[in-house]
Amino acid sequence: MKIIAIVSGKGGVGKTTVSANLCAGLRRLGKSVLAVDLDPQNALRLHFGVSPRHVGGLARAVLSGDDWRTSVVQGNTGDYVLPYGSINEGDRLDFEQDLRENPTLLRDQLALLGLAEDCVVVLDTPPGASVYLTQALAAANAAVIVALPDAASYATLPKIMSLIKQYCSRRKKFLGYLLLINQVDRVKQLADDVTDMMSAKFGKKSIVLIHQDQAIPEALAYSKDLQEYDPLSRGAHDVKLCVQAVERLINPDTVGALAA
Amino acid sequence: MSFFSFTEMPGKLERLGGKLANSSVWESNVMRAIAAAVAVLLLVIVIAVPLDLVQQSTIAVLAFLVSSKIRKLSWGRGGILIMIGISLLMTMRYLYWRVTSTLDFETTADSVFGYLLLFAELYGITCLVLGYIQTAWPLERQPVMIDRPVSQWPTVDVFIPTYNEDLSVVRLSVLAALTLDWPADKLRVYLLDDGRRAEFRDFAQNCGAIYLTRDNNRHAKAGNLNEALKRTNGDFVAIFDCDHIPTRSFLQLSMGSFLRDPKLAMVQTPHFFFSPDPFERNLETHGKVPNEGQLFYGLVQDGNDIWNASFFCGSCAVLRRAPLEEIGGVAVETVTEDAHTALKMSRRGYNMAYLAVPQAAGLATENLSSHVGQRIRWARGMAQIFRIDNPLLGPGLTLGQRLCYVNAMLHFFYGLPRLIFLSAPVAYLVFGAHVFTATTSMVLAYALPAIVLASMTNSKIQGNHRHSFWNEVYETVLAWYISMPVLMALLNPKWGKFNVTAKGGKIDQEYYDWKMAVPYVLLLAVNAICAIFGITELLLGSDEPFTALINCVWVVYNTVILSASAYVANEARQIRHTPRIKASFPATVSRANGRTVMCETANFSSTGLGLKLPKDNGIKWDIGERVHVSIFRGEKESTFPGTVQTGGQFVGIQFDDSLTLKQTKELAKMTFGRADMWATEWDKHTDDKPMTSIKNVVGHGFVNLYGLIRSGIRGAFVKRRA
Repeated sequence: MKIIAIVSGKGGVGKTTVSANLCAGLRRLGKSVLAVDLDPQNALRLHFGVSPRHVGGLARAVLSGDDWRTSVVQGNTGDYVLPYGSINEGDRLDFEQDLRENPTLLRDQLALLGLAEDCVVVLDTPPGASVYLTQALAAANAAVIVALPDAASYATLPKIMSLIKQYCSRRKKFLGYLLLINQVDRVKQLADDVTDMMSAKFGKKSIVLIHQDQAIPEALAYSKDLQEYDPLSRGAHDVKLCVQAVERLINPDTVGALAA
Repeated sequence: MSFFSFTEMPGKLERLGGKLANSSVWESNVMRAIAAAVAVLLLVIVIAVPLDLVQQSTIAVLAFLVSSKIRKLSWGRGGILIMIGISLLMTMRYLYWRVTSTLDFETTADSVFGYLLLFAELYGITCLVLGYIQTAWPLERQPVMIDRPVSQWPTVDVFIPTYNEDLSVVRLSVLAALTLDWPADKLRVYLLDDGRRAEFRDFAQNCGAIYLTRDNNRHAKAGNLNEALKRTNGDFVAIFDCDHIPTRSFLQLSMGSFLRDPKLAMVQTPHFFFSPDPFERNLETHGKVPNEGQLFYGLVQDGNDIWNASFFCGSCAVLRRAPLEEIGGVAVETVTEDAHTALKMSRRGYNMAYLAVPQAAGLATENLSSHVGQRIRWARGMAQIFRIDNPLLGPGLTLGQRLCYVNAMLHFFYGLPRLIFLSAPVAYLVFGAHVFTATTSMVLAYALPAIVLASMTNSKIQGNHRHSFWNEVYETVLAWYISMPVLMALLNPKWGKFNVTAKGGKIDQEYYDWKMAVPYVLLLAVNAICAIFGITELLLGSDEPFTALINCVWVVYNTVILSASAYVANEARQIRHTPRIKASFPATVSRANGRTVMCETANFSSTGLGLKLPKDNGIKWDIGERVHVSIFRGEKESTFPGTVQTGGQFVGIQFDDSLTLKQTKELAKMTFGRADMWATEWDKHTDDKPMTSIKNVVGHGFVNLYGLIRSGIRGAFVKRRA
């Protein structure tokens, strides 16, 4: 089992969409994938066609002491999702208190799921520093930092990098991170410049780009897999490259096999 | 010949040659003189010994068999040298026999025609010998990496001279020069405008180039460059014609040699053309048959290089400032200032280098008349140098340099000799003159092996740089036009004036340039008359049927070459103002509705792109739809606004007229300026197959003769284009 944390320094960068597209892409590579939502917004399940009325999730399971496996649902896209769950404000505070008291709660619970060796867990997290992010980073084998090519994203990068350093870098099982610049638009001067600045800072090996592409939200709106919705689009191509980069990151030994 | 294994020869030869060459015997001058004397004596015997028909034929067949066997083996340079030796031997035997046994003319007509032909033959043989020396062993120089810290790199001034060319042509060259990979504080780009145009000044100021002009146009391009030399001070000067677009790696590849060799004064790179020249366009040989430039830059300059005699060609070159200033700047005495400048620097003991990596590309001449105009200038200029600064005379040159330079000049004197060959059958068939006082069979036994072996050897040397017989077409087209200017320049170097070659036009309608074609049509008529006489003679019974037949074969050959040549004047329609260059880069179109399409470019030009999409993609395009196209080079992406012109599997995009300077610069960088852009196109031709080649020329000849006659008939009815 490999755990990938999808993180960002600020909100609205398309993290949830990226998580869903990554899951679909990894599944296309033949992986079994579990998407885990650590964001109290509880929106990830919607990307997998799980009913909005579905209320179960990991927060409820923790509070009620249930096995997490009972909360995993299969969406109509075929993927397995572990939603955050619908809970009231008091429960959320209790849950977050639990997370604070037990920093490895997530890692331990995921281990208890007994997933297969080649299974990939994709963790969607709320933006910025939070107890969820701390849990996710403590569990992750790899991190994908999602950013927009704008000044705000650029400004939050140092913070998120220092968190990764603090929670991940010293763990042997942590394999590395990628910076994913989302909604790249070379027509806009600022976006173009920021993309180049970020690329220069991170080096091309740890950078992946997803271009601004209407096909991505459209595919989401129609609950279709992007690769089927518009296989010729830049977005579909970029997502494919991202998935390959993630795969290289978490399975450095099988790169040759993948290329073949 | 089973007792003798050809395939084991190179090893044995090499060992034997090595032993001989390293022997201590050669340290003695006396021994060397004796060996040379013996060799010369043997050579004289082999060349001069008289043989009868059977003996000479036997020698000829043997020489042919040996040479054609070696030609098929991969003996490398050694094999070529042996072939050259055999070819020279048969040529010299022919020449000796020709001069001693065939000039016993009876009538005045015999003498006139006979000596004219002899003159042409002597010219041809001289060029053959010099050509062998020049191209026997091309240097194939490799780029030298720069092994110093950037702080020690020299400063470079890039000169882009212009006179009357359109800004649309010049713009890309200047912008590409600005993106050359070189430290920004050590690179200055100068636009040298002899046209004194405000538009050019504004453009230069806006893009970061330096605008220079002067109050006169003395000495044309050479004067323009010299004026700039006075007002600049970089350690090196890179010169580009205003329609040559450099790739960004130009300086990185060419500058290393200068740092290694302080006596090196110049590095020349090939002139590569991405548009077809009039030959290629009108004969439809673009990309199939190597053009003239490919022989010159692929082989001749590389051959010159081993003799330290590669010369400056006016563009796509770097010169060291100090030696250039030492000789008083770019030479102004002739209209080929480039070659003369190199000659002058060679005389001062500086080294010259040629690097066969295309690092710039430009437009070929647009139509036949401008092509001819350019070649007339080259021919005149070379004749001028021959007169006023003959490389055989004067100080400072090695024998190899003298021979290479002389050959470069003599090459342009082919006009008259070729006209003689093209009309020679008239001597016997019409006037009954005998240009040889020998039997036809003896002429064949001596001349054929010389001609055939020379063709075979040159075909082997030239490999993929030239296809046999096409050369005949190129020279035939120009022969008439360059004869007079060359003759005039030889008589008085001052006669005639400089003309600038117009570039970047378009031909709206196919038409036949009858004015340009007059000489070939006349020569065709002469050969047609010869054919009538010849056939009549053969039908009515002849005293010398064999001679008549040989002359008729000669007429047929002339007709084929002339028909192919005459058709060059049929100016094919050129649809695009700016030529499109085939190239496949990753690209993306961002559409008006926010959707995107991944694709590849099929071609590009300075004004648009052709995109290739997957088959049956089902995408609907609106003509006139506004889009943004991204081109990728590795991680690098650049985006340009444009409009959809055609849809389908191939989508045509035209860039907005309002591309900013920055965008145009990006465009140059992502397309024309790619370091490997031209290297794959260069040298991609297949090796020469003489038989295939002659088949193609013959095919072209007959098809074109038909086309020519049709054009002629149509031309008689339709009012001629002004």
